[in-house]
Amino acid sequence: MSMKEKTQVADIDRSLYDFRYEEDEGEFLDSGISTDIIKEISDEKGDPDWMRELRLKSLEIYNKTPMVDWGPSIEGLDLDNIVTYIRQKSRMNTNWEDVPEDIKETFERLGIPQAERESLAGVGAQYDSELVYHNVRKEVAESGVIYTDLESAMHDPKYADLIRTHFMKLVPPTDHKFAALHGAVWSGGSFVYVPKNVHLEIPLQSYFRLNARGAGQFEHTLIILEEGSYLHFIEGCSAPKYYEAALHAGCVELYVGKGATLRYSTIENWSKNMYNLNTKRALVEEGGKIEWVSGSFGSHVSYLYPMSILNGRGASAEFTGITFAGEGQNLDTGAKIVHNAPETSSYMDTKSISKSGGVSTFRSAVVVKENAVGSKSAVNCESLMLDSISRSDTVPVMDIRTDKADIGHEAKIGRISDEAVFYLMSRGLSENEAKAMIVRGFADNVSKELPLEYAVEMNNLIGLEMQGSIG
Amino acid sequence: MEKTILNKLPVPTFRWLGVNGVEHEIKKYETKNVSVSADKDIIRNDVTESSKFTIDAQNGETSEVVQYIKSSGEISLATEINVHNGAKVRLVQVFENETGAVSEVAAKVDENAVFELVQVYLGGEKTVSEIKTELAGRSAAFTADIGYRLTGEDKLDINLIAEHFGKKSTSEITVNGVLEDTAEKTFKGTIDFKTGAKAAKGSEKENVLLLDSRVKNRTVPLILCAEEDMEGSHGASIGKLDENHIFYMKSRGISEEKIYELAARSRLMQVISKIGDDQTKARISEALQWGEEDE
Amino acid sequence: MSELLKIDDLSVSAEDKEILHGVSLTVGEGETHVLMGQNGAGKSTLGCAIMGSPEYNITGGHIVFDGEDITEESPDKRAKKGIFLSFQNPIEIPGITLSEFLRNALEQTTGKRIKLWDFKKKLKAAMELLGMDSEYADRDLNVGFSGGEKKKAEILQLLVLEPKLAILDETDSGLDVDAVKTVSKGIEEYRKKVGGTLLIITHNAKILEAMQVDRTHILLDGKVAKEGSGQLAYNVLENGFESIVSGV
Repeated sequence: MSMKEKTQVADIDRSLYDFRYEEDEGEFLDSGISTDIIKEISDEKGDPDWMRELRLKSLEIYNKTPMVDWGPSIEGLDLDNIVTYIRQKSRMNTNWEDVPEDIKETFERLGIPQAERESLAGVGAQYDSELVYHNVRKEVAESGVIYTDLESAMHDPKYADLIRTHFMKLVPPTDHKFAALHGAVWSGGSFVYVPKNVHLEIPLQSYFRLNARGAGQFEHTLIILEEGSYLHFIEGCSAPKYYEAALHAGCVELYVGKGATLRYSTIENWSKNMYNLNTKRALVEEGGKIEWVSGSFGSHVSYLYPMSILNGRGASAEFTGITFAGEGQNLDTGAKIVHNAPETSSYMDTKSISKSGGVSTFRSAVVVKENAVGSKSAVNCESLMLDSISRSDTVPVMDIRTDKADIGHEAKIGRISDEAVFYLMSRGLSENEAKAMIVRGFADNVSKELPLEYAVEMNNLIGLEMQGSIG
Repeated sequence: MEKTILNKLPVPTFRWLGVNGVEHEIKKYETKNVSVSADKDIIRNDVTESSKFTIDAQNGETSEVVQYIKSSGEISLATEINVHNGAKVRLVQVFENETGAVSEVAAKVDENAVFELVQVYLGGEKTVSEIKTELAGRSAAFTADIGYRLTGEDKLDINLIAEHFGKKSTSEITVNGVLEDTAEKTFKGTIDFKTGAKAAKGSEKENVLLLDSRVKNRTVPLILCAEEDMEGSHGASIGKLDENHIFYMKSRGISEEKIYELAARSRLMQVISKIGDDQTKARISEALQWGEEDE
Repeated sequence: MSELLKIDDLSVSAEDKEILHGVSLTVGEGETHVLMGQNGAGKSTLGCAIMGSPEYNITGGHIVFDGEDITEESPDKRAKKGIFLSFQNPIEIPGITLSEFLRNALEQTTGKRIKLWDFKKKLKAAMELLGMDSEYADRDLNVGFSGGEKKKAEILQLLVLEPKLAILDETDSGLDVDAVKTVSKGIEEYRKKVGGTLLIITHNAKILEAMQVDRTHILLDGKVAKEGSGQLAYNVLENGFESIVSGV
């Protein structure tokens, strides 16, 4: 009945994310990973020598590195059959009109250009392996901010050095097996450079869409913030649902300069056959700050633990996250923080929800090194179990190596209280609405950190997950 | 000699943290079997050689079993405890070894039965201690009060696992410790709610005072949950004393050194106060070189 | 006057223990009734049972509201029919603001979409009447509210939702004299504006002072021990329960 819908801001349909266009078979490189494929990618992209070497070296590391021996099972992922690279029908565009019709329509339906017109300083859209669209507002470009695709930047003599000295330096291919895979086959992604003391008041956004069947997406995001600058970067991800497993092994490297602040927000809604093995890392210099806001709703399996390395005196990190694991999902998420300088501070506030057989794991590491005297860390995580066929695990580690630190950790797990449901029902809300409202309230830590339209989208996703299936 | 992984974390995590298990050389021990029935108030045991204890408590029996673990070389100790319906056992383990020990406690707690564990670690070059408690019956209860004071090059690894099977079963884990010099400690505590453990409650707290810039402390508090109707929490506080706390005490004329000494003592006293046997309390106070008079 | 609420031989238990043993009472539309009784007599149980709390099981009898048997109805259906319970201990719900919650509840109970502007106006007027700081509207529901603020927030909900029947479960307890006055003012406004029906559970003379009580019911050990006119309530307050019920 109609009243039901009114409790949600505006109902969305899962089909919004599930629609897809047939891709053209001829555009694929062979599946699996071999030296030949890597060389072919390099040729296709006209990689400079150092990048060719990095790809081949990464492949070598990939072949030597064992699979992870902890976390959710990734047995369903057949790496030999993942298509690592899909050549796009057209080159990158800065004019929306020039983007191919089917791709354009995909993004139009996801509301991307509309979002740009309304509230973004710049937007980038990646479709499968390549960035298809990139644009920045004129006044933003005039302030010296660079927001472009990583590949053209790599070939531009102005930035080539900057990229060579930063690319996969924070997340080296030796980090883990999927970082090595990323190093070998990465394609697409964004490069952002914010000059000294430039404050970008409106956010930049990147949108990733994996459309092809049985494919992998391996975009690389490299952001460099110079001293005293400010940026809010938003990342959105989605993919239609196919029966074959898909892989996302992106990499995000964030360099936050002295006194600079970077806010990095993600709403991830990959389809529920996606293996999301993404690596995100920030290096924060003196007095700088990284703020992560992260909502994980999609994917079949996720391994996602953005890492903050606090490398200069007074550097700080904040992590605010929510994970909602529903039917068929095993979402292993959290954060890692390394205090590697005096007087650094970190704050983590996470929520996780498990429902309809979903498994959510909160996993964290807070490491305070010997030199991080006077550092502080506070971690707060809460989990909500909505039924007894689901699972929720909390696996935090604190490794403290100085006496002059102040480390706190709080975790709670529980269920929706019957009393709270009765209270809301006594005011006229149905049981489902009451529970959805309590869950939305539970997720409030994240929604209030997001720009309004994203908070609305997140609440819709929660409404969608909660609808009809409980009680 | 062969290497074995002891103290495995029930859900392994990031490898680089090195908390998933302890690699240890297991020597072949001559093991003495000791069987204890919990029919006396206090049962004291000196554990000076590798031993296996079996403690059995029948309905209505209440007992405090004390083990002093002290030998010249490394020893291995296994303690198996069955607390049957309605019985209550308190196991007090005092680790006085200078070299170290490998200890394993496996307890099964039935309906309305209570198992209280008190462990005090007074040192040890390398101590590996595992506690696994199965809360099998309805309203089975488990409390663990663990205290440690590690100095010099002491190393301690504790792996505590409380598994909730029974409805309304409860676990309450409290760990208080002090690290000095270059001591290293890892405490892994897991509360595991199995499906069906309705209305179960589990809580875990660790409070660590670090008194030297060279110490290493690792705290790993896990909650695993497969049941909706339960309540679990854990909390940890690690580091130095609160500045307001220090200021307040200083304003009453107490030196900073003394403040830390008092804080260290009060943390361990909280654990020691859970012991019923006065003789054991006195023995620990003496080992800590705390005279009775200024307790 | 027509019957609005009819409790017929109601037995209620909680955790397998019977608390109410065959309670019957009737409240006419537009009337003000007072429900009294010592602690543990079952007053709050009756209030919660009328609202349909899952903590209590109805083991016998019926609750009829506005001519319909609602004994088996869920709490939200009862709220939509026009029953309101002011809770003795209102629950805290983090992450949901008072205003967001109340707008939702209003839309649910009326079945109509309410314009944000109209809602805000209505909320503001009610808050002003109760002397509530407007910032409470944007605070999480009952979270960190003092005891008095929580009770005021309940009356605020009463004024916004305008139910047919309001059950006030010790809304005046734990309040200082000024707060009781404010709450009374809210109740008076509800009576005036909506012409609503009241079932007041109380120990306190203050809240009844300004009220015209039509009928009094006294519960003792889970049964109605005595019923009488409005005057009975004032007699109890003056002389205590003993003199009133000792003859039973």
